[in-house]
Amino acid sequence: MSIDSISQDAPQDPGVQRPIPEAIRQGASATAESTLNSRHRKRVSKAFYGLCVAISLLSVLVLVVLLISIAVQGHSRLTPTLLTGSHSTSEPASSGMYPAIIGSLAICFVCALSALPLGIGTAIFLEEFQPTNIWLRRLHGFINLNISNLAGVPSIVYGLLGLSLFVFMFNAFGQIKVNESSGTEIMGVERYYQVLTLAGGGDSVLIPQSDLSQPTITITEPMPAVDRQGNTFQLEVWDPKSETPKPSDPAIRHRTVRLGQGGGAYAKTSWYYFRLPFGRSFLAAGLTLSLVILPIVIIASQESLRSVSPSLREASYGLGATKWQTVRNVSLPAAIPGIMTGAILAMGRAIGEAAPILVVLGATVAKNSGPQNLMDTVVTMPVLIFHWAGDPQFTYQQLAAAAIIVLLLILLLMNSVAIYLRQKMRIE
Amino acid sequence: MVAVLAMCALATVGITVGIIVMLVGQSWNFFNSEHVSFKEFFTGTEWTALQSKNIDDAKFGILPLLSGTFRVTAIAMLIALPSGLITAVYLSEFASKKVRAVLKPTLEVIAGIPTVVLGYFAVLVIGPSLQWLTDGGFDAFNATSAGIAVGILCLPMVCSLSEDALHAVPRALREGAYGLGCTPFETSVKVVIPAALSGIVSAFLLAFSRAVGETMVVALAAGTQATYTMDPRTQSQTMTGFIVEMIKSENEYGTVQYFSLYGVAIALFVITFGMTLIGQLVRRRYRESYS
Repeated sequence: MSIDSISQDAPQDPGVQRPIPEAIRQGASATAESTLNSRHRKRVSKAFYGLCVAISLLSVLVLVVLLISIAVQGHSRLTPTLLTGSHSTSEPASSGMYPAIIGSLAICFVCALSALPLGIGTAIFLEEFQPTNIWLRRLHGFINLNISNLAGVPSIVYGLLGLSLFVFMFNAFGQIKVNESSGTEIMGVERYYQVLTLAGGGDSVLIPQSDLSQPTITITEPMPAVDRQGNTFQLEVWDPKSETPKPSDPAIRHRTVRLGQGGGAYAKTSWYYFRLPFGRSFLAAGLTLSLVILPIVIIASQESLRSVSPSLREASYGLGATKWQTVRNVSLPAAIPGIMTGAILAMGRAIGEAAPILVVLGATVAKNSGPQNLMDTVVTMPVLIFHWAGDPQFTYQQLAAAAIIVLLLILLLMNSVAIYLRQKMRIE
Repeated sequence: MVAVLAMCALATVGITVGIIVMLVGQSWNFFNSEHVSFKEFFTGTEWTALQSKNIDDAKFGILPLLSGTFRVTAIAMLIALPSGLITAVYLSEFASKKVRAVLKPTLEVIAGIPTVVLGYFAVLVIGPSLQWLTDGGFDAFNATSAGIAVGILCLPMVCSLSEDALHAVPRALREGAYGLGCTPFETSVKVVIPAALSGIVSAFLLAFSRAVGETMVVALAAGTQATYTMDPRTQSQTMTGFIVEMIKSENEYGTVQYFSLYGVAIALFVITFGMTLIGQLVRRRYRESYS
């Protein structure tokens, strides 16, 4: 059998082991078969390279298609109303996302305030204070593994945890029910009954509420009251059935109510209104999100601390610094650019996260302002987008696309800040 | 001070414990109900917690939700795993600095896109294109469009984790292969990828668990009907999709229907936590062997 016939019969499969041709064993540098074989292998390699390039370009293509399609869908709704208005069911065209932008930023603020100290603290503990004791070392390894696992827990499960832990607090402080109970109030709220006076035109006075379980009051006798300016005075009662004429002086009318006049509950809250459990508030939502991003913050900070050169630490120890002084003066400042970058990326994740907020705050989007106090409910951008995108009306579809553009721009801005900070700190 | 830091670290363990306590405690309300049996939960092929207001008609068999999750995840993995791995090979073995400078940021941007945006993309572009390509062979909301969007979402993750694994393969292995006359294709596929296999497998597992837990994309694009089928063209409510629908619905806190979401959540948690745990353990093993 000649060499040529072998090379033509056998299919050129690079995976099949074939004996080395006799001619090559004898010392020839190449035979017809080996040339063909190597040509084939080179062709496969080229094809593979082409495949690599094509598939890699595919990801760029997907991104471009995504951005273009959303821009096309949403550009006509990129109006000032979008930034200043609020969601409206009656007039879709005048809907906007102002409360959602403020709400997202507020939640992000709470999230940063709670997740960053906890996350950076954990990272310092895990990276800088590595114990020598075998059991403590195992504990360290366990905590590390646990953190990587937490990073893989679906965000909606964190939402359910936040619902039990922050919204209801396992019902340890009583359950919040509309018009019945507000849980255990700590500070920042004064409760009144609002009662209409004789002055008319919606003029009303406030009567301090003593029994929180009574949602309404009926005025039967004179009692102390507070006017809108906060002055306390004695409320007078006028009985329409009695012979006394209705007072005519506006000042007196202002302090007098009809006998049997009913009044509803009214709560005057300051921005620091605080109660337990938190209920469906933006504080609860922010804390829930901080659980979601905590593993990301920890892992980024750990990597940043790990990349600080050991010689810096050794120099610090050599100068007689204690462990804590070394962390504070050497490791942490050197790692700060990386930590900041990781933190801002985590914040970007928090702003875009919808599922946990949906679970904690519910799917309602009817709110026309940002949060007024710590216990106020809030709308966020992703939840609003979810609501609009799920609505069959075409206007809302366009609004969703426009809101996505705003959201992506905000994320882009945050990432640019991260890159800028990283560059600036590196130079210093 | 060290004590404070240690408390921070232990708080992370507290979160895990909190999740488990919460899930077990709340789903106890579900499994303990007389309308629910474990056998039906694991083998029943109907899930009507949302549709039936009357508890006697409600059927709690998780298989339809599981099959929905499986369909979406399988499609996502079909897209994310090969393309993620090939992109990773390209980035670590072939790409020039210029190409890297474009490709890396692109992947980072895709990784940073909020999931609700990808869900909207699935409804806006992927679903209609599928319908157009097949002349209406797909439902308006279907498992495939959601799966493709989830695949796009997982791609950067598969890619960056696999690339880390490929990077950790010592240079000497590649040089040896080239010295023996291997082509770039043979070097990557027969030498580098097998050497990095454990890292790649762990990347796959982590991406799988991410896809199973993905919520907003499926809530928008996969539909709201729990169907027990393997047909990827139909609506398919997933486990996460059901949780969102239940939260959005008017069901009162305290009904069995409401607590059924915790039954689903505990199943979801067990699956994702198991996958992540195995993935992390595989990853750790491989890390030790090369550093």
